[in-house]
Amino acid sequence: MRSIWAVAVNTVKQALRMKIALIFILLLAVLLPIMALTGTGDNTFKGRLQTFVSYGLSLTNLLLCLLTLIVSVFTLTSDIEHRQIYTVITKPIRRSQFIFGKLLGVLLLSGALLVLFSGVIYGIVVYAPNYLHPSQSELAQANNEFYTARKALSPPDPDVSKEVAEARNRLTKSGDIDQIYAGMSSAEIDEQLTNLRRVAGRTADVGQELIWEFENVRPSDPNGSLFIRFKIEVAVTPPDAQIYSRWAVGDYRRYVAGTAPMYPFQRKDPVKSFREIEIPAAAVADDGYLAVVFLNEPLNDTPVTFPLADGIKVLYKADTFTANFIRAVLIIACRQIFLACLGIFGATFLSLPVALLLCIAVFFTANVSAFVIESFDYINSESTFFIYLYTIKLFVSLMPQFDKYSPSQYLVPAELLSWSTLGWVVFYLVCIKSMLLLILALTVFSFRELARIII
Amino acid sequence: MEYAVETFSLTKIFSDWWGRHKVYAVDDLNLKIKRNEVFGLLGPNGSGKTTTIKVLLGLLHPTKGRSLCLGGHATDPKISARIGFLPEESYLYKYLNARETLDFYGRLFGLDRDVRKTRIEALLDMVGLKAVANRAVGTFSKGMARRIGLAQALINDPDLLILDEPTTGLDPIGTRQIKDLIIKLAQRGKTVLLCSHLLADVEDVCDRIAILYGGKVQANGKVAELLQQTDKRQIITDAISDEAIEKIKRIVHAENAECEVSSPMNKLETFFINTVVAAQRSSKQTSGAVSTTKIGNFLTVESVSRNILDKLVATPVSQETPAESPATEDTTPAKIAETQPDNQLLRDLTESTTPMQPVPTGLNAETQPVQTDVPTPPDQVKEDVLDQLTGRAKAQSEKHEEKDDAKAGESGDA
Repeated sequence: MRSIWAVAVNTVKQALRMKIALIFILLLAVLLPIMALTGTGDNTFKGRLQTFVSYGLSLTNLLLCLLTLIVSVFTLTSDIEHRQIYTVITKPIRRSQFIFGKLLGVLLLSGALLVLFSGVIYGIVVYAPNYLHPSQSELAQANNEFYTARKALSPPDPDVSKEVAEARNRLTKSGDIDQIYAGMSSAEIDEQLTNLRRVAGRTADVGQELIWEFENVRPSDPNGSLFIRFKIEVAVTPPDAQIYSRWAVGDYRRYVAGTAPMYPFQRKDPVKSFREIEIPAAAVADDGYLAVVFLNEPLNDTPVTFPLADGIKVLYKADTFTANFIRAVLIIACRQIFLACLGIFGATFLSLPVALLLCIAVFFTANVSAFVIESFDYINSESTFFIYLYTIKLFVSLMPQFDKYSPSQYLVPAELLSWSTLGWVVFYLVCIKSMLLLILALTVFSFRELARIII
Repeated sequence: MEYAVETFSLTKIFSDWWGRHKVYAVDDLNLKIKRNEVFGLLGPNGSGKTTTIKVLLGLLHPTKGRSLCLGGHATDPKISARIGFLPEESYLYKYLNARETLDFYGRLFGLDRDVRKTRIEALLDMVGLKAVANRAVGTFSKGMARRIGLAQALINDPDLLILDEPTTGLDPIGTRQIKDLIIKLAQRGKTVLLCSHLLADVEDVCDRIAILYGGKVQANGKVAELLQQTDKRQIITDAISDEAIEKIKRIVHAENAECEVSSPMNKLETFFINTVVAAQRSSKQTSGAVSTTKIGNFLTVESVSRNILDKLVATPVSQETPAESPATEDTTPAKIAETQPDNQLLRDLTESTTPMQPVPTGLNAETQPVQTDVPTPPDQVKEDVLDQLTGRAKAQSEKHEEKDDAKAGESGDA
């Protein structure tokens, strides 16, 4: 244990005194305050906070991830290349202990910097009301929509399999199916048809109503507020790009029975941007049921659609901003652990430039892997590149999906990042993927001839 | 366990990327290095010395055969805790300073803080880098880096010391110091494997040598036996008269033999040390390593006598001196040895006109009693060597002599 610690401390000294870490520290120390001063967002107080958190945390994440990679690759390749390892590994330290020491040193350094700079971001955000002097209403908006952690509920997707089957039969009978969906597999045709039905279910013609029913809505404060977060897309954009609408929120079952009213709202919102409606928590029924009704005002003269993924959500406060922020930072910490293991693994059998190139390639692939996997799903699997496709897809699936769980994706809309979500990230990224890399690194390193120079 | 290092048909072949055998770096090597032996591995560049050491230490895997260090494999922490290793260049962390470097290696050995601290100070003192202990090692000259490299190899007080070209880049005083150190460690029962192509160094300290060429042992044996010219005799006398020489020549001719008479030359090493000491006496400042002849206290704890070295260098022993005599005759208590500075040594070195002798592990039976030396109080040990060597030191030592005369009765040492 003592020798692991000695190697770890030496690794930290190496990164600091060789000035690798210094460059990243300087960059962050300069860029973060500049961002805090210049980011304006949509010119509201909340907008400024969102812009700063989004860019600040992304920058910290990017730079510290790169730092972790560079230091972990450098510290091991440099020891081997400059042969300090001759005098170290011949001391009473096992090779695995040496690797653990290096890993610990890298994580101590990048972890400390993560704590430092996320602390700076947190400080700037939390004390923003003291130096930006927002108006009362702006502050209230920020408290409700930013300084909080809200659980987001999407309406359940309706079962459209019956309609899809019907539509398919109809198309097959008329023979149109080969023309419209030429070259597609039946699974892909089904998926397209399903999406079409679902979008149709979220589209309101002029003067038409849409109704969504949510279950299990449990706001922590019964006297607090809930939020309906929505985004509108239109077939024909009106001249002022604004949509007039009427909403009603409440217990639709009792409203139909005539025992309770619904809360009505009249609104005018820009298209293609996220908007929020604040409603009292009392609108939710005792059993956690909540209905949201939308009416497309005839004034609009265009059908209105709520996009599938994030068209409409109900948000309510479930945790504090601080707890959410800490969990978001822990996601970055998980990435650092993975990248440190990756860097050490690369350095056990590659020279500095090659190992670094490999790691950076993996890092950037991981940043887009969820997107890549999705796009592979759209490629025709019956094509001639069948095997090729599956090897790449397998390779990309092994990568972590950094873009699937990004910290700012939760903090900007003040959406709850639950412990269970974080648990998944820890399990997959740290317990499975990082451990796999670490075991590989230990195996390669313990069998390697250290005095043999890799050219 | 009789052997400290053993190899059994050790073979190392370097192959190219395709696995084709290219170079036989070590070829069927069977080395047996006894405990408490100073063993020299000689050979020209590329003869397989360093490769042998790397295989011994587990830095390379043998292609065939196997090797044992201290009865086990050197990668076993229990074994490596007893090994000291100085590679062919002192591969150090450039960004650490000298003290941090030694502290780092001390921690790898799991030494306690107190032990680390005392050993580091003693070693820094010994290698003469105390004044620059807070400077980054990367700024050191090659010789200074070598000294730190040596210090890290000694921090665990190893039973087996493996030195690969220890004297490259060192000034003659440093070289001499390493040789003295090797002798001293051997006296304490340590085993030293010395790898070098500087023959003079090996000749001075090694009990046994093996000469490698092309990865194979070409010659192997005791230095004294390998080098002794049994068909020649050498007689060294004081400056005697020409008549006496003529008489001797006549006697020799009567034996039907040839006879050459000349005055012995000083070794360049002795001359160099003389010059440096003279410069130190005139208090010239140096930004480099301070030349000392100290040896870390903890490395000499069990040593038989503080005076062994002094005796060895001051005594004009002839080339033919048998090497077998055990170290028995000195009676000075070991306790005093711990606290003795070696400041006397340099003076003795400069006053001695005899070339350095090949020094056997044990003590020479012929060793003459050394001039009465004065024990200095313990607090003197870490005093600056420069001071001790300059006039001030002389004055002090005179004072000590007076003091110690008075003390002699109680200590019973004078």
